[in-house]
Amino acid sequence: MSVIIRADSLRKKYGDFVAVDGISFAIEEGECFGFLGPNGAGKTTTVRMIHCVSPKSGGTLTVLGSEAHVDNRAVKQRTGVIPQEITLDNDLTVRENLQVHAHFFAIPGAEARRRILELLRFVELEKRRDSKISDLSTGMKRRLLIARALLNQPRLIIADEPTTGLDPQARHLIWQRLRQLKGQGATLVLTTQYMEEAQQLCDRIVIMHQGRILKAGAPSRLIEEEIGREVAEVRAAPERDAALLPRLAPLARGHERVGDTLYFYCDDGRPLLKAMLELDLPDTVHRPASLEDVFLKLTGRSLIE
Amino acid sequence: MTFSRRIVWVFWRNLVSYKRFVLTTFLASLIQPLFYLITFGIGMGAYVGYFGGKPYLYFLVPGVLTTSVMMSATFECLYGTFVKIVHEKLYDSLIATPVSAEDAVAGDIAWGAFRGLVSGGLMMVVAIFMGILPVSLLSVLLLVLLMVFVGVLFGSLAMIVTAFAPNFDFFNYYSELVITPMLFFSGVFFPLDKFPGWMKALAQFMPLTHAVAIARAIFNGDYGRGLIFNFLVILALEIAAFLAGVRLMKRRLIK
Repeated sequence: MSVIIRADSLRKKYGDFVAVDGISFAIEEGECFGFLGPNGAGKTTTVRMIHCVSPKSGGTLTVLGSEAHVDNRAVKQRTGVIPQEITLDNDLTVRENLQVHAHFFAIPGAEARRRILELLRFVELEKRRDSKISDLSTGMKRRLLIARALLNQPRLIIADEPTTGLDPQARHLIWQRLRQLKGQGATLVLTTQYMEEAQQLCDRIVIMHQGRILKAGAPSRLIEEEIGREVAEVRAAPERDAALLPRLAPLARGHERVGDTLYFYCDDGRPLLKAMLELDLPDTVHRPASLEDVFLKLTGRSLIE
Repeated sequence: MTFSRRIVWVFWRNLVSYKRFVLTTFLASLIQPLFYLITFGIGMGAYVGYFGGKPYLYFLVPGVLTTSVMMSATFECLYGTFVKIVHEKLYDSLIATPVSAEDAVAGDIAWGAFRGLVSGGLMMVVAIFMGILPVSLLSVLLLVLLMVFVGVLFGSLAMIVTAFAPNFDFFNYYSELVITPMLFFSGVFFPLDKFPGWMKALAQFMPLTHAVAIARAIFNGDYGRGLIFNFLVILALEIAAFLAGVRLMKRRLIK
């Protein structure tokens, strides 16, 4: 597979604030690549540099074979952007939104009409084609944003937190559509704060924090490496650590205390569970390890503001 | 700076949205100039009588017409553009397509000029119904060109202001400190020659003064040599304002 996006020591500064602090990554054609991170990690800034609406401050960034910069119309012509914010044109109807956009990509009239019908069907909005934007639900608006991003039949699709604020049904519909697009050969670059979304969609992810990449890899491999297969949570006041840890910690791969909870990471939880039963702890949870554990372990479990 | 033919499609986007509120804007852009025509033209005109051998309205109409172009183009590029940047996030989706920031801003300036032309054109129709006619068909054509030209000028100037505006209130400074004084000191309602010297000098720094002088000359077919100076002043300012407006807006849009 060929590399479609390559960043090397990519940096972005806003005044004195460093939003992206020298990150390097390579995204291959046809994969779904996810940027995970808490608010302010630099995910959106990074994808904005990729789709050429924000200039980089340092390093190199090659997209679709050319250097990314704000006047690179060639990259924009072949990229579809599903933005984080709903940037639909409220003065226009559903169909007019797509028509206007088609002109920006210089898609000929007949071809544009054909694609618009097809895309409205794809996102299940064909019955709403003459609706005003204000009459659509948030889920419909998000779907329309997807249709709009696909008008130019992009090789590269950027989805910046595409399911923020959606109910589960709408979220699953969008996930299905994004998987479908990947199946058709598009390269997908996704930013998200939802671990489930990353696990559902991404072949590879990077976890970003404060402008840096902390870890990169396939979601399942990251879980395996960082956490193990299982997690046991014990709610107990910190004063009890002295009594609990000598007994339990040796049975786990690692442990962590956050607030009122002790987290134990392990590959086989049975010895640990047995010990917990013997200690007769009142408030415990035993569950499979998830990407969320990796994320929280790496970025810290305390609140990030 | 990179411009492309996509400017046309930015303009077209505005035209598509315009059809939903075209009638309200007709009313809004007619009412104020109409008041000027009635109060000054008919009310004061009755006292003033003739100006240079013609009724006062022939003096007033080209002035009010130019003013309404200025107002429409200005407000479109202040409030209209601000809403598109901040409230509707329209520019964000524009610049993610092959439309450059320059295309988007130039398209909106062209749109402001068009709105100015519509307002000025409506005024001209009203004047014609009042029996106040431009001197020839050529005059009508030249006035149309002038209105577009003046619209681009004031649209561009407004873009410079919009590039710095943190909120709507900011626009009050521009409209109260620049636009309103221009309305009264640019020879729209009466000639400037009775003003004291310093006021006359000040008026030369107001682009509306020059625009009105040209409009009046075309309307009445009364061309003097000073017009070339008037034209050059506007042309220079227009080019400078357009480039500055586009550049400053780009700085606001691309971060």
